[in-house]
Amino acid sequence: MKRLGMFALAAVLTAGALAGCRGADSTDKGASGAKSDVGITKEPCPKSEHKDRGCIYLGIISDLTVGPFHVLAVPITDAQKAFWKRVNAQGGIGGYDIDAETYVRDNKYNPQTHNEAYQEMKGKVLALAQSLGSPTTAAILPDMKTNNIIAAPAAWTSAYAFEDNILESGANYCIESMNAVDYANETFKPKTVMAVHLAGDYGDDAAAGAKIAAEKLGMTFINVKTDSGTDKQAGAVGAIVQQKPDLVILTTGPADAAAIVGGAAQRGFTGKFIGTSPSWNQGLLATAAAPALKALYLQSSPWKSWASDTPGHKAMREALGSSVTPNDGYTSGWVWSYPLLAALKKAQADGDLTRAGLLKAAKSLTKVDYEGMLPDGAGNYAGGADGIFRQSLIYNPTVGAGGPNDIKLEKDYFTGSVAKDYKLDKPCYEKL
Amino acid sequence: MKDFVESVLRGIGTGSVYALLGLGFVIIYKATRVISFAQPAFMLAGAVLVTYLVGPLGFFLGLAAAAVLTGGLALGVERLAVRPMIGRPVFTVAIITLGIDIAVRVVVNAAIGLDVRQVGDPWGLKVWKLPGGVQVEQRHVAMVLTTAVLIALLFVFFRYTRTGLAMRAASYDQEAALAQGVSVGAVFALSWALAGALAAVAGTFAAVGGSVSESLWLIALTALPVIILGGLDSLPGAVIGGLAVGTVQELTATYQGSLPWLGGNISVVTPYVVMFLVLLVRPYGLFGTREVERV
Repeated sequence: MKRLGMFALAAVLTAGALAGCRGADSTDKGASGAKSDVGITKEPCPKSEHKDRGCIYLGIISDLTVGPFHVLAVPITDAQKAFWKRVNAQGGIGGYDIDAETYVRDNKYNPQTHNEAYQEMKGKVLALAQSLGSPTTAAILPDMKTNNIIAAPAAWTSAYAFEDNILESGANYCIESMNAVDYANETFKPKTVMAVHLAGDYGDDAAAGAKIAAEKLGMTFINVKTDSGTDKQAGAVGAIVQQKPDLVILTTGPADAAAIVGGAAQRGFTGKFIGTSPSWNQGLLATAAAPALKALYLQSSPWKSWASDTPGHKAMREALGSSVTPNDGYTSGWVWSYPLLAALKKAQADGDLTRAGLLKAAKSLTKVDYEGMLPDGAGNYAGGADGIFRQSLIYNPTVGAGGPNDIKLEKDYFTGSVAKDYKLDKPCYEKL
Repeated sequence: MKDFVESVLRGIGTGSVYALLGLGFVIIYKATRVISFAQPAFMLAGAVLVTYLVGPLGFFLGLAAAAVLTGGLALGVERLAVRPMIGRPVFTVAIITLGIDIAVRVVVNAAIGLDVRQVGDPWGLKVWKLPGGVQVEQRHVAMVLTTAVLIALLFVFFRYTRTGLAMRAASYDQEAALAQGVSVGAVFALSWALAGALAAVAGTFAAVGGSVSESLWLIALTALPVIILGGLDSLPGAVIGGLAVGTVQELTATYQGSLPWLGGNISVVTPYVVMFLVLLVRPYGLFGTREVERV
């Protein structure tokens, strides 16, 4: 009797282990016949109207409440939820709907919190529809590599060109700033370029791009680090006013950008500013710095703004509805979702929706259909660091282009001479 | 010389905002012996309230209303979250104020929305030209004058009103004050309300000429070295500490370019350097009360 009990216990434990372990070794065949392992169920998604479909769970870890990028992160997340709903409305992927709403967590822009959220969801999601922030994503990247988990980022650091598990989109900060300096060289011939930037791989990456371009184009480069907070910009303003560069590449938050541009103009500075996209917010046009911004400020951008006329932009506006306040956080969230969609479709076509299969599919992509939001050639993940996208745009965000919520495009997608020939052999910020 | 004078003027302007923030911290500390880490949230809440009230009420009435509302919010928070903790270690209460800070900021951030907001002040980035070509920003003059008026009002309140006297008595010895019929609970509540109102004014002036974004609260962190170098329980210390930190920070920002070996934006570190130097000489701050303990 005792021996029978032992057998029963062993049988129960074995069955339990097999049922509980839906790891990489345990694969299943779903509705489409594709192999699957983690983050995919035959049961429909909790909020799905399509009860005949299974569910692919994607996680989102973003800065949703008190972190410094909360203002961008909320629309990014809302746009991604709308993006995947549209995918479901268009038939889903291989008999599955996509759920990007069940596992949405706030990282407060804290790597520790980010990792906690990741650990909580990693056994339940196939991939991450968003992992916001470079330092936060760095906290989970080793584990993502171990477990073959891929993620769409919400950052443009050049370090992602070297990470197979990250599906970055658009020109990184480094390339964007190279192009900004190149644009300035063509239009108003600066002799001195100053990068005013936050520390870390946002600001440092852009500053490094400006430095590389300035040196290549024979300009003098000045590096000025600043800190977040409008009361902490006196040093940056002082440096600008004293050293009088012809061009300032600005990589800060919007409130800091207004303090710097407004403060420098008030003290007589007349040079140009080109800010990277996170430096701008349309609300700045109502601040006291608006006259200075209108006179001196241009903005580089990795993709076209909210009101642009492409099929992707139209689909985004339609999916989000007319009740949202136009904001390019939505545009970014929408654009960043296309590569993951392409990878899922490829993996499904390959008959392998396991994490390893999805990673393999993502690495094999030579192009992604961004529905016109990015030009042809974007999304070459098979090319590694050599395949990075090198085009960006220049806007004047202080001038309306005529359409509702539209801003003036100064230069459409272009690759500057420096970015065109630049060999990205390591993250740019390591060269600052 | 022109740069020096302009830097000092800017520093006094910014320093007066630090002084207001510091006063809020000190008032709560004197009453309850707790450093309230919720002050940054009240600062942000006050500024955001002004952005909503400036339309219907105008800047000055909107500021007054926001100060009253933020004071009420702080009072409510004290009643709900801090009051039940009386008798607990002050460290525990301080940690609770950290939680309050995050909770209030989450709500306020939602009210900010996706665009930065404006307090609609009448000064913007306008300047007055003084003899010698020296420029002084109108907003900095407004900051100094507002701070001076509020300090005068606080002085009158603490010196000549019964409630002010009760607050002073409670800050010296709570048990003795209780024995004399002072409601220490009311003193606690009033100190939170006063600190909340001061934070609202400070937050609004921190956004004058600029904008209100969710990162505005970071400015309040500079008040911590201010109150420690001034003396945690000293109202004059908070004022002098604020003005000193603002001035040193601006002067460093102006001249840091000639000291590149110090690294980038060294001016943001100067409040802590000044605090450290003062504490080396006076461990209780410039005007803090020396604690005597029987061992």
